[in-house]
Amino acid sequence: MRKLLVMIVCIPMIILLSGCTDRKEIEEQAFVVAVGVDKTDKPNIFRFTFQIANPEVGSSTISPSPNESPQELVSVLGADFLSATNAANSSVAKEITLEQVRVVIISSKLAKSNEFIHLMQTVPSTVELRLNAQLVVSKEKAADFLQQNKPKMETRPHKYYQYMLDRAKETGIIPDAPLSRFYYITEGDADLFIAPLATVKPEDKQEYKSEDKYTAGDIPLKGENKTQFMGSALFKEGKMIDELTGEETRISVMLDPTLSQQDFIANYKDPLKPDYKIAARFKAEEPKITVDYRPNGKTTIYADINFRLDVYSIPSTVNYISDDKKRELLRNNLERQLKQMTEKFIEVTQKKYKGEPFYWSLHIRRHFLTIQDYEKADWSKKIYPNAEIKMNFRLTSLEFGKVLRQSDLGRVKD
Amino acid sequence: MVLVKRPLKTRELLTMAWFMVGLKSADTTPAMLAGHTKNAVWLVPIASLLFLLPSFLLLMHLLKKHKNYNLVELIQHLLGSKIGTLLCLLIFLSAFIVIVLDLRNYVEQINYLYFPNASTTFIFTIFLLVCFITASKGLESIGSISWMFMPFILFTIIFILWLGQSNAVWNRIFPIFGSGLGVILTEGWNKSSLFLEMFLLTIGYQAFREPKFFRRGIYLGSGLAFFFITFFYLTYAIVFDYNTIENVAFPYQETTEIVTLGHFFTNVSTFFMVGWLICSFLRFSVFLYLLVWTFGAIFKVKPFESYLLPFCFLILTLGSIAPSFVTNELSVREVVLEYISPIFLLFPFLLWVMSLLRGRRER
Repeated sequence: MRKLLVMIVCIPMIILLSGCTDRKEIEEQAFVVAVGVDKTDKPNIFRFTFQIANPEVGSSTISPSPNESPQELVSVLGADFLSATNAANSSVAKEITLEQVRVVIISSKLAKSNEFIHLMQTVPSTVELRLNAQLVVSKEKAADFLQQNKPKMETRPHKYYQYMLDRAKETGIIPDAPLSRFYYITEGDADLFIAPLATVKPEDKQEYKSEDKYTAGDIPLKGENKTQFMGSALFKEGKMIDELTGEETRISVMLDPTLSQQDFIANYKDPLKPDYKIAARFKAEEPKITVDYRPNGKTTIYADINFRLDVYSIPSTVNYISDDKKRELLRNNLERQLKQMTEKFIEVTQKKYKGEPFYWSLHIRRHFLTIQDYEKADWSKKIYPNAEIKMNFRLTSLEFGKVLRQSDLGRVKD
Repeated sequence: MVLVKRPLKTRELLTMAWFMVGLKSADTTPAMLAGHTKNAVWLVPIASLLFLLPSFLLLMHLLKKHKNYNLVELIQHLLGSKIGTLLCLLIFLSAFIVIVLDLRNYVEQINYLYFPNASTTFIFTIFLLVCFITASKGLESIGSISWMFMPFILFTIIFILWLGQSNAVWNRIFPIFGSGLGVILTEGWNKSSLFLEMFLLTIGYQAFREPKFFRRGIYLGSGLAFFFITFFYLTYAIVFDYNTIENVAFPYQETTEIVTLGHFFTNVSTFFMVGWLICSFLRFSVFLYLLVWTFGAIFKVKPFESYLLPFCFLILTLGSIAPSFVTNELSVREVVLEYISPIFLLFPFLLWVMSLLRGRRER
C-alpha cells in the first residue's frame, strides 16, 4: 500500500515536473528563419537582423488572422547571436528562438573582414542555432537583403529559403554550404570553402552571357523580385577572398566528391557551326580522384569524371543525330570543351588562390599514417599549388531527346 | 504470485550488458578520447578490447571453474577474506567513483542540451529517482524492461547510423592512425576501465537459471556493445573531421542535429533523444543495482536492496561537488579512469595465479 502511494505521487511528478522549468509554449515563441549579420563601425560588434516567421500565416490548419504579416524583421546590435536575440526582445513580444534558422546571411563586407571568423567561433557552443543552417553571402548589407527580398509566390519565408536554396543547389550554380561544413573546412585548414552568393540589387547592365557565367547581381533578370542566388563566395582560412561565377561554382561542385550535384541544363558550343549553341542536360557521376604523391618530386592528381549528356536542342540543325562521324566529333568536342573549361579554372585556383575549393585534401590523406606527417607535408601550401593535375572527362552516354532526326530548315525556308 | 527462482535468461543479460557497455558510444567519451587520438578514435575501443580480453576471459574461466561463486565470493575465496575484501573494496570504490562521475556527466548533458533552464540538482534528483525506482524492482525487472525496449533502441541506433552516412566522408578516416599508433595503444590501455561494467556484471553470475545463460549473454552483449561503439566512433570520425571532433563535446547529439530526413523533416534530433534517454535510464539502473549488490556481497548484507536509497543520496551529494562539467569531464574523469584501469586489467591474473597455487596445494 505504501509502495503504491509512493508510486502514485512520484510517477506523475516525473512526467509533470521535468518539463516545468523548460516549458516553452509554441505560441509564446518567435521563430527566426533567417539571420543577417553586418559589420558595424565598432570592432567585434555586429548588426543582427532577424527575420521572424509568423506560423499562423500560410498554414492550412489554422485560419489566418487577415491583417497579420507573414514575417517581421528586427535589427539590433550585438556581439554574438544569442545576446542579440535578447536585445531583439525589446521590440518583439515573444521569446525569440533560433532553433528553426534555415539561413545565416553574411554581408560580403563582413565576410571579408578578420572579425568574421571570431563571430563564427561563437556559433558551435550555441545550443539553439543548428549547424545544418545554410551560410549565404549577400553582396549588399544583410539587413538590406532581408528587407528587400520579397518573394511573390512564397509568403512563408522558411519555405522560400528552403525551396530557393534546394533548387539552386540542384542546378549546381550555388554550393551546399551548411555551417557545419564551414567548420570542417576552416578548421581542417587545407581547402577553400565556398558559400552561395546572393543579392537583391542587380546591376543595370543587361548583358547576355552563357547561362552560368554570371555571379549574383549581373543576371539580366526582369521581374518583381530582384533577388538572385548565383555563384559563390570563396573563403580561405575563414575569410572571403573572391567571388566565383556560376560556372566556376558548378565546376567546383562537380569536382568535389562530397557534394552531390543533380543534373542541370547548360549550353555548349556547336563544334561545326560555332555561332550556334547546343543545349543539353548534363549529369556528372561522382568524380574519382587519385593522388600520386611524391614527397620530393612533383605530385600528380588524376581526376576522372564520367558524365552523361542529353542534348535537347541543336539550333544549327547539323545532323549530329544520325551521322556517326559528326556524332563522334561532337562527343570529342564536348569532352574537350569541358576539359578546357575545368583546366582553366584549376589553373586559377593553383596560381591565384593557392588552394582548391574541391575538398581534395581528403584524397591525399591515405598516403600518411599519422596526422603529424600529413600536416607537415602541407597540402594547401606545398602540394596543391605545385601539383600537376590531369583531368580526364569521359562522355558515357549521349542522347538526343525524343526526335530521331533534325528537320531540314533549308527546305523550310525555301 | 510465486516467482520462479533465478528466472534470468540470456536475452535479458544480453540487452543489459549491451546497454551498459554500449552507451559509451553516445556520451562524451568519444570527445575525451578524440582529444588525444583525433580521427583514430574508433581504434581505441578495439585496442582496449585487445588489452581487456585476456583478463576478462580469465575471469570467466575462473568463474566457470569454481562453481557457485559470484565475483566477490570468488575473490574472497581465492585471496582469503582479508586481502580479498580489500580487493573487492577497491573494485567497488572504482565503480562507485565511475558511476558518480558518469551520472554527473549525463545529467549535465541532459541539462545543457534539452533543459537549459532547469537546475542541475533538480535534473540530478529526478534522474536518480527514476534509476532508484527501476533498480529497486530488481535485476529481473530491469532485464525484462531492457529486453522490452531493445527493438526500439536498436531501431534508433540503426536509423541514426544510416542517416549519418549521408553526412559521412569515408576518406576522413585517413590518416588511419590519427595522432599515432603509440597514442592509440596508450589510450586503449589507460582508458580500458571505461568498460569496467563487464567485470561488474559478473557479480550476477549466480542469478541465472544456468551459468551457461550468463556466459552466453555477457559475451554476446559485450560483443554487440563493442561493435556498436566502434561503429559509432567511426561514424563520428567521418562525420566530423579530425580538427572538429575534439571540440565536439556531445558527438551523438551533434550528429542528430546535422542529419535531416529529406526536405520536410529537417530537425529530427528530438526523436533520437528518446532512445538515448531510455538507454541511459536503463544503464544507470543496472549500474546502481550492481554497485549496491557488490556492496551487499562484500559486507554480507541481505537484502541489499535497502541500501539503494542511501547510495542514491551519496551519489547525488558527491556528484554535485565538481564545479563544472568541463572539470568533471576533463580533469577528474580522465584521471580517475587512468588510475583504475590497471586494477581491472590485472586482478584476474592475480586470481588465476592464486587459483593455480591452491590447486597445486590441494593436489
